Amino acid sequence: MFAVEAIKLAKTFQTRQGPVKAVRNVSFAVAPGEIFGILGPNGAGKSTTILMLTTLLRSTTGSAKILGLDVDKDDAAVRNKIGVALQETGIDEVLTGKELVQSTGRLWGLSQSKASERSAELLSLVGLTDAADRRVKTYSGGMKRRLDLALSLIHQPQILFLDEPTTGLDPGSRRVLWNEIIRLRNEGVTIILTTQYLEEADALADRIAIIDNGVVELEGTPDALKASIGGDVILFSFETKEIAKRAGDSITNSEVTGRELRTTVNNGPQSIPNLFSILQANNIEAVAVSSSRPTLDDVFLKVTGHKLEAVKVHENDDLGNHGGV
Amino acid sequence: MAIDNSGGATFGLQLWILTKRLLIRVIRRPYTELPTVLISAFFLFVYVGQLDKVFGGSAMPSSIDFSKGNFVNFILPFSIVSASISGASSGINLVEDIESGVFRRYQAMPISRWAVILAPMLVGAVRVFFQSGLILSLGILIGASPATGPIGFLAILGIAFLWGMGFAGYSVAAGIRSGSAQGAQAATFLFFPALFIAPTFVPREALSGWLSSAAAFNPTTYVIEAMRGIMIDGWISESILKGVIASGLFALITLTFAVIAARKVTEKN
Ligand SMILES: Nc1ncnc2c1ncn2[C@@H]1O[C@H](COP(=O)(O)OP(=O)(O)O)[C@@H](O)[C@H]1O
Ligand SMILES: [Mg+2]
Repeated sequence: MFAVEAIKLAKTFQTRQGPVKAVRNVSFAVAPGEIFGILGPNGAGKSTTILMLTTLLRSTTGSAKILGLDVDKDDAAVRNKIGVALQETGIDEVLTGKELVQSTGRLWGLSQSKASERSAELLSLVGLTDAADRRVKTYSGGMKRRLDLALSLIHQPQILFLDEPTTGLDPGSRRVLWNEIIRLRNEGVTIILTTQYLEEADALADRIAIIDNGVVELEGTPDALKASIGGDVILFSFETKEIAKRAGDSITNSEVTGRELRTTVNNGPQSIPNLFSILQANNIEAVAVSSSRPTLDDVFLKVTGHKLEAVKVHENDDLGNHGGV
Repeated sequence: MAIDNSGGATFGLQLWILTKRLLIRVIRRPYTELPTVLISAFFLFVYVGQLDKVFGGSAMPSSIDFSKGNFVNFILPFSIVSASISGASSGINLVEDIESGVFRRYQAMPISRWAVILAPMLVGAVRVFFQSGLILSLGILIGASPATGPIGFLAILGIAFLWGMGFAGYSVAAGIRSGSAQGAQAATFLFFPALFIAPTFVPREALSGWLSSAAAFNPTTYVIEAMRGIMIDGWISESILKGVIASGLFALITLTFAVIAARKVTEKN
């Protein structure tokens, strides 16, 4: 059984200005224990997709299942199994972090003592122990995100949905959240996260869906997506131009520029020994060799026809408060 | 992984946690309560100052003595009812919660919609209760003395609580319907007809024409009359009952309207 399954999800909002097709065709399946990344630019339909998957918004057409449960028909059961941290954090800033986590725990049905136990545990997990008794109003953007993560984990959900968990954060805060997300995955939590950042999808996700204009254009592991571009790029360097030229004569499908030779192969690491033996057979010695993969940038450009421009907002984040993770 | 969360919290516990959170918010931002207390106190002093001699029977020979010689007793209920405008903050608080995403967070949790709506109404009632207590104390300082003694004060506060809940419910419903703090604020204009299309300064028998008929449909009328009965005449069960029913019904109706409005907002469309 899949942890999450989206089947031809679509959502059209009716507005005064006319219908807005926020999501047109989103299908994917996430296996238990995976980190699944939904990568797309601002306005691609990521948040709308998350809202539909988490029972908070009804799809116009299509359906979705969480652990086999239908998000429309079994919404209460689904909500018990999932944790959600939406893009808008929805935190009452007059309360302290501890008050918020404790009261949320009680609303999930924990006893007073269990709730304070769990609250202490979660706050330490996200590195907010020192700030626990401060009002959320005084928290930085990164701290609010981490508090939000703690809130979404209170009822120990099997599946976690994170909508742009690191957008607008500085690199330090982002790293803290990444570590926490990986730790959760290692504990067996299935994670669906959306992002505008190629590096983030690349670093975290086991599999990625590229979404643009409300449509999932391509889906697969980061490596498979890059491989779809047509293999790896192998780069040889030689002592002299002449040697490079001779190498070019012996290796088919290669390009020589100066003292360098470039060739595209299906699988770089596997091909390098072959290429070396060809050179050896011709008595040619290489100075250096490297194999590089196409980046997700290349993939995104190829499937959508445009580059992914992430919104680059960096809030001032208080790096001093990230201890404890 | 052994947390039993199948049911979430009981309704009572949900209501208590949500209410407590809003009360903490009031306590940490107390200055927002100040204007309504001042307005109610202002009404009390101004009306006593202006009308005491006319209606209080103290100086003028032509005075009309329906307050049995103590005009403060007569006008105090009006001041208390005017404190109910502080219930309007409840609607504004709720709109803040919708805008900040708190409402949506609740939606993702096993929480009853009734508890989400009832909590700000209760907080509104608590606000009105305490503000009324303050106004009552002021009234005592300037000469109020209820026919029913100290227990009478408690009865008045009880009615004020119910009434505050209704007015808070009204502002919550208005806030959800309009979806904006301005909407919640604007809807409180109804407060003025509610306050003045009523036996505000004179008994209902003294009202004339359309005002007299309209006042009969205004729940404020019965709330003021119940409180006045307690202040001036003693335990008159009929008027107290009418006051309790009027304010209770009002609270029930506004609660239902607010929940229906909330259902529309969260209908996932
Ligand atoms: N409630 C709504 N009403 C009307 N249009 C909406 C609503 N929510 C989102 N949209 C529109 O749908 C599109 C996708 O939005 P969203 O899912 O928020 O994208 P993303 O999260 O990828 O930035 C955008 O054009 C957005 O303006
Ligand atoms: Mg979004």
